[in-house]
Amino acid sequence: MSPHEPVTPESIDRLCTLADLPVPAERRKGLALMLAGLVAAANELSRKMADARYRTVVPILRFPER
Amino acid sequence: MTRTDVLNLTIREAAAQIERSALSPVELTDAMLQRIARVDKTLNAYITVCGEQAREVALAAEKMIRAGYHLGPLHGIPIAIKDNIYTRGVRTTAGSKILGDFVPQEDATVTARLKRAGAVIIGKTNLHEFAWGGTTDNPHYGTCRNPWNPERFPAGSSGGSGAAVAARTCLGALGTDTGGSIRLPSSVNGIVGIRPTIGRVSNHNVVPLAWTMDTVSPMARTVEDCVLMFEIIAGHDPLDDHSAQAPVPDYRGELGRGLRGLRIGLIRDYSLSHVQRAVGDTIRAALTTLESLGVEIEEIAMPSIQGNISAQLTIESCEPSTYHQEWLRTRPADYGEDVRTLLELGEMYLATHYLQAQRYRSVLRKEFVEGFKRVDVFVTPTLPFTATPCGATKVMIENNREEDMLSAIMQFTGVPSLAGLPALSVPVGFDADGLPVGMQVIGRAFDEATLFRLGHAYQQATDWHTRAPSL
Repeated sequence: MSPHEPVTPESIDRLCTLADLPVPAERRKGLALMLAGLVAAANELSRKMADARYRTVVPILRFPER
Repeated sequence: MTRTDVLNLTIREAAAQIERSALSPVELTDAMLQRIARVDKTLNAYITVCGEQAREVALAAEKMIRAGYHLGPLHGIPIAIKDNIYTRGVRTTAGSKILGDFVPQEDATVTARLKRAGAVIIGKTNLHEFAWGGTTDNPHYGTCRNPWNPERFPAGSSGGSGAAVAARTCLGALGTDTGGSIRLPSSVNGIVGIRPTIGRVSNHNVVPLAWTMDTVSPMARTVEDCVLMFEIIAGHDPLDDHSAQAPVPDYRGELGRGLRGLRIGLIRDYSLSHVQRAVGDTIRAALTTLESLGVEIEEIAMPSIQGNISAQLTIESCEPSTYHQEWLRTRPADYGEDVRTLLELGEMYLATHYLQAQRYRSVLRKEFVEGFKRVDVFVTPTLPFTATPCGATKVMIENNREEDMLSAIMQFTGVPSLAGLPALSVPVGFDADGLPVGMQVIGRAFDEATLFRLGHAYQQATDWHTRAPSL
């Protein structure tokens, strides 16, 4: 999914197929509207974290850190 | 002592009277149960009231104390527990239809520790379904309401615990906090709540929301009461893989040390930005009070702070959707509409989104570690707004612009959650409509003691925490 394209009910359909998640057709439009905003913000964060100054940063997946 | 006097006792005050047999645990428990019967039809703070069981435990506590065995400050004290925390033999629904008939065969570690300390479990409190949301507008067990104005929300997800404590139906409660679920209801209900460092308090037998951010902790009317509960539940638990080995300090011993020389950080363009005017004014007044107690205030830049809401939404979407994957496919209609939508959305992020959000946490944490070389704590409001009407999905913070509730509510509480740091919410005043405002104080990892010390000193110098809603 390109960040330049809006998320559509068809995009939701494809994602649900990939996730093996049955979502009734009537829910897809609402999900598309919400996901468009969430994915745009997540992509912005991903671009920030792809910056060279963060190249050595590893994810924290466990607290307390060991 | 009148019934009103009993209801207004703090844990410390009630404990002192119980220890010298001036107050009976049965009398105290009965007063709370009668209060629940009177006000909870309005508030809907409880999913299950453990009336008979609570009376039996209170009676046993009374007999023990008369026989000369006093277990400490929680002995005979009525405590409520959020309904996603296991209680052996008592239904634990997590606010859901899916777990509507679930009766655990074991206690959570935190429940067991409270029971061993002699606490009387008075009931299980309402919450946002599966703790995934900030309003406690629960489609299965009813909308929980704010004691200061029942037309307003109690926030969430531990909204039932917040409303129950503020309404004087228990002396303290346990909540859970992933992205703010203890601090948010503590703020809008005018009480104290602490999110601990991840690993400080066991999550064993607590229904998870997001494994890398979940915590359990107390909510009470005073910092001192939070400490009395925290001392009992904090500490290593071999049953929880995430539990820390860090030693538990003498929190009560630290409370009276005063604040002279303590350094508070305000995060530039963040700590006092994008908040309702009354919230900003109230926090500034609280800072002035703290300065009069000897703290020094410094502004610190934290360039990575922007991005925190997206990181939190990503992690808090993906992890719950993983836990709920099977039920979402077999029982989708048994979820409320908002939680079902969030769980479906959580399956649609990319793995790279999730991992970039977890990498962001490392960057944010490192900036806090640097900041803590200059200051001892950071301060923000707990929420940028006061309690909104029940059912609202939008909120207005400034410039007459409506914002999405879920993002707006996380503005300040998500940051310590992401960084794995402890944070205290303490009541610091009211807006013009009489709705409480809370201040969030963020500390170093495993330094809850400094948060308690600051909050206690503030409460010794002010009287916000002594005011009661007129229910």
